Amino acid sequence: MRKNDSVIGQLDWPLLLVFFLLMGMGLATVYSVAYDPEHPNLFDFSQKYGKQMIWLAISLFLGLLVFLIDSDIYRRFSLPIYLFVLGLLVIVLFMPPINGARAWLGFGGMGIQPAEFAKISTAILLARFLSSLNLKQQNLRTVLLANLIILLPMALILLQPDAGTFVVFTSFLFVLYREGVTYDPIVLKIINLIPGVNFKQTWVGSHFIPILFAVVFLAVVTLLFSGQTVTYELFGGIEVPGAYSVILYIFIFIALIFTIVRFFLSKRERKQALIIALLSFVLSSAIVIVIDFAFHKLAGHQKDRIELVLGLKEDPDGRDYNRNRAMAAVGSGGLTGKGYRNASVSSVRTNHVPESETDFIFCPYAEEWGFVGSAFLVILYLFMMLRIVVIAERQRAAFNRIYAYAVAMILFYHFAINIGMSIEFAPVIGIPLPFFSAGGSSLMSFSVMMFILLKLDSQRKDVFN
Amino acid sequence: MQSNNRKYVLISFIVFVGILFLFKLFYMQVVDDSWKLRAQQLAEKRREITPPRAVVFDRKGRKIVSNMTYYNLMMVEANITDLDTVAFAKLIGWTLEEVRNRFKEIVEGEGVYRNPHTGKVTPNYQKIRPYPFIKELTDDEMSRIAPHLDLFPGFYEDVTSMRSYPYSSGANVLGYLSEATREEVDADHFYKPGSIIGRAGIERFYEEQFRGKKGVKYIVTSAMNNAIGSFEDGKYDTIAVQADPIKLGLDVALQKYGEKLLQNKLGCIVALEPSSGEILALVSSPSYDPNLLVGNRKIRENYPKLLQDKSKPLFPRPLASEYPPGSIFKLAQALIGMQEGVIDENATFPCAKSLVGCHNHPQAANIKQAVQFSCNPYFYSLTRKIIQQKKGKNDFENAEIGLNLWAKYMNSFGFGVKLETDITGIRSGRIPTAAYYDKWYGHHRWQYSTIYSISIGQGEVTLTPLQMANLAAIIANRGWFYTPHFVKSIGNDGPLEQYRKKNYTLIESKYFDPVIRGMHAVVHESGGTARLARTEGINICGKTGTAQNPHGKDHSIFIAFAPMENPKIAIAVFIENAGFGGVWAAPIASLMIEKYLNGKTSDPAKEKRILEATLANLIAEEE
Repeated sequence: MRKNDSVIGQLDWPLLLVFFLLMGMGLATVYSVAYDPEHPNLFDFSQKYGKQMIWLAISLFLGLLVFLIDSDIYRRFSLPIYLFVLGLLVIVLFMPPINGARAWLGFGGMGIQPAEFAKISTAILLARFLSSLNLKQQNLRTVLLANLIILLPMALILLQPDAGTFVVFTSFLFVLYREGVTYDPIVLKIINLIPGVNFKQTWVGSHFIPILFAVVFLAVVTLLFSGQTVTYELFGGIEVPGAYSVILYIFIFIALIFTIVRFFLSKRERKQALIIALLSFVLSSAIVIVIDFAFHKLAGHQKDRIELVLGLKEDPDGRDYNRNRAMAAVGSGGLTGKGYRNASVSSVRTNHVPESETDFIFCPYAEEWGFVGSAFLVILYLFMMLRIVVIAERQRAAFNRIYAYAVAMILFYHFAINIGMSIEFAPVIGIPLPFFSAGGSSLMSFSVMMFILLKLDSQRKDVFN
Repeated sequence: MQSNNRKYVLISFIVFVGILFLFKLFYMQVVDDSWKLRAQQLAEKRREITPPRAVVFDRKGRKIVSNMTYYNLMMVEANITDLDTVAFAKLIGWTLEEVRNRFKEIVEGEGVYRNPHTGKVTPNYQKIRPYPFIKELTDDEMSRIAPHLDLFPGFYEDVTSMRSYPYSSGANVLGYLSEATREEVDADHFYKPGSIIGRAGIERFYEEQFRGKKGVKYIVTSAMNNAIGSFEDGKYDTIAVQADPIKLGLDVALQKYGEKLLQNKLGCIVALEPSSGEILALVSSPSYDPNLLVGNRKIRENYPKLLQDKSKPLFPRPLASEYPPGSIFKLAQALIGMQEGVIDENATFPCAKSLVGCHNHPQAANIKQAVQFSCNPYFYSLTRKIIQQKKGKNDFENAEIGLNLWAKYMNSFGFGVKLETDITGIRSGRIPTAAYYDKWYGHHRWQYSTIYSISIGQGEVTLTPLQMANLAAIIANRGWFYTPHFVKSIGNDGPLEQYRKKNYTLIESKYFDPVIRGMHAVVHESGGTARLARTEGINICGKTGTAQNPHGKDHSIFIAFAPMENPKIAIAVFIENAGFGGVWAAPIASLMIEKYLNGKTSDPAKEKRILEATLANLIAEEE
């Protein structure tokens, strides 16, 4: 009894509240989007909202189940769980394809997607593995093993193929980064091949992941500007080639950060910061110029393809159909929206936005509630992710912390890509908005993921590690 | 390894993306309007509902223009699945070839966008857009097709309304409707490509009074362009309002009778109500059944035929053909002469055939008899007195001053000026002025002897039949007229402002008496030129005219009003190439008068003679 009391007492209520709030808002939006005047009952199980109600009940039941199980079980059985899900990922490849992907394990009319649960099993095993490491003694083997845990399910998911979930798995790289797993052993291996060079540690290797993302980000921005000229009306209409414009922005950005940061630094640190700032400016400029040069050297059809992917070429009724409709829905919401059940672009009845009750559910929500509603949702997700980071940081057990970070980063990916694809910030990749989108597998897996986190957190004081 | 600081990298990532999203969302949803427009384009269709045009009644309340419901067979290619072309062709009664050609025609015709500014044509066919596959099917035709349409998804019926003319009469008065041209669409937002617009007659003149008020319905449409429902419960919708009915002064029975009388003849009849200026009948022969030009299909089929017809059925003769008025013009000359004081009603001039040719008749002792006998030398001399009034230094100057004075009188009769009648295609006729002859002969190089044929309504003088009828009305009214017009009332409003104002000629009413007595004698006394117009029980006042025609036989003219005591109808009849006015035009006019006043005619022999006469060799005319 005492233990149960402590579970309730130690429960993170803010997180649970946001969880229920998002679920409720999601259900309301599904009801609005898929509303059928002939079946107005929310509990009409022939309708999408009726089905969503069933999934909601199942998810909460699973959550309760998770709560009753001793949280130590995940740590102890992390490998069997991981291998079991991996097995499911293999089996699913032999199932008949639905919508061109072998992603579903069917039980009669219902089906689940093992890939959704692979996120949890991978998070658990990764937490187990990293928590057992002595981070001071990293070597090639530990780096490779950590990456193998991520890459195995990724490879199987790519075979389905499910590009969305595949991309989400790269969120684990951030977890590795947070835990201090460096790619230095790999980088050193390569760098030290050069005769006369014998580094003990490289900056690139230890910050490999953020640098990788920064380079990718820079590359995309450069390609967006490459091949066009930017006109500055403020300065008498000077025309600047796109790439140089990007370099100008980088300079402004770094200068801005530096000016702000230097207030918080000592004199010695300021000098260091200046060197870092200059160095990163020179390096990123170099990257921009190289990519710009390479882009101009590309053959025409390759250029076309890249331009289409980046949305530089307009094709609103062809390749850009989904994004164009999604943006029309979101953009037409205005400040306060068109009102509940008044989404004229993105409701299922009008069907301008495809998958508007699942992957594109942000569209009807933003259309109905406008900027006020969408800002509220963005802030809600931000709160949830930052709350999880706070929870992660208060854990005594490394396992708990790593798992919490994994959850935070998975949510971050889903949030960034799902909302990003409706506002031109991410490519159109079909992944659900956590707790919001209609669909059983994602709702169940996110609920289970969340309740494991809540359970681990509630028992954080029992664990002495 | 200061891995604890790395959490800030992750937190910055999350916060950075979140803030970026908020800015972008704010820009997209609040600042930038372009996505709202895009959304409207996609999902909110503004459907304009054009009401049926106003219906038209004649003076006795008979509906002469009404609207009939027709159907378009619409097609949305995106919704067509597994079309059984053979069965479909069979259903609509076409050959396979025709069905295939129609598909092609839609893509290349209706499915093309014409830039209104550059005129550039670009293909714009869209599979999700509805196009009319067959236009203007009748109720009968549609009822055969409609029950089977659910076998052919992608096809559906759409209701339109079109004109119908139950009396098949008055085509030149009513005009017809056709699709608005690109220029008309550009000039007025009321019209969209495919909208109909009045093309001739009163339909064109009163376009704004006919078309009514459009309704607007905002509807939410799906990606397949199907209507889903009204937008925000129809909060912004407006109802289409049909324009008020239009009542004409026309008597459709009289109009139809006139058309019948003129069968196999070239010519026209204009009948007015002198007290109001309302046009009772305006017959142009040959004419056509207005039902021939209803809807695109029929217009495409019939219009070219009517246009190429050598007898010009589309040409509104009463309004637009300018003929020398012949002897009816003498009535005006007599009135001007008395008003100017150059003669009095007992003036006499010898019938000197050396001046101008004449027929044999007793000497005219006064104006009444001059009118009765239509004595040419009499009016030669009379007009000479008007024009050569010795107001200048020599005969040339006299003629110049006199002619301009005379022209001013004539203009006050509505001659040589366009009557402001409510129809398009009106012409002014010609009353020559000094400037006109100066151009021909040179300044002060002409005098009355040069231009004398105007005295008997020949030469340079021309009038339209409408002006001739108006002359009869002026005399019936003793000096004034309302501008002849068709529309008696629009809804609860009377005729337009300009038809409620009396136009006074420059002739005082006291001078009309001798002329009217003369016109009575023309019909009712021996020696009168229009004895064939005599009608039991009606005092008809008339005047014959015969217009010389350089291309063939003379035109037969007669104007009249009746009854003499209380004129109810003024009429002009003009029959081309029919010879002397008293022979054909006069009896036709008398039949029209009798028909209008008594509702029936009493002289079957007279009527039979007219109906059986073929006065135009229509085939020979084609030359």
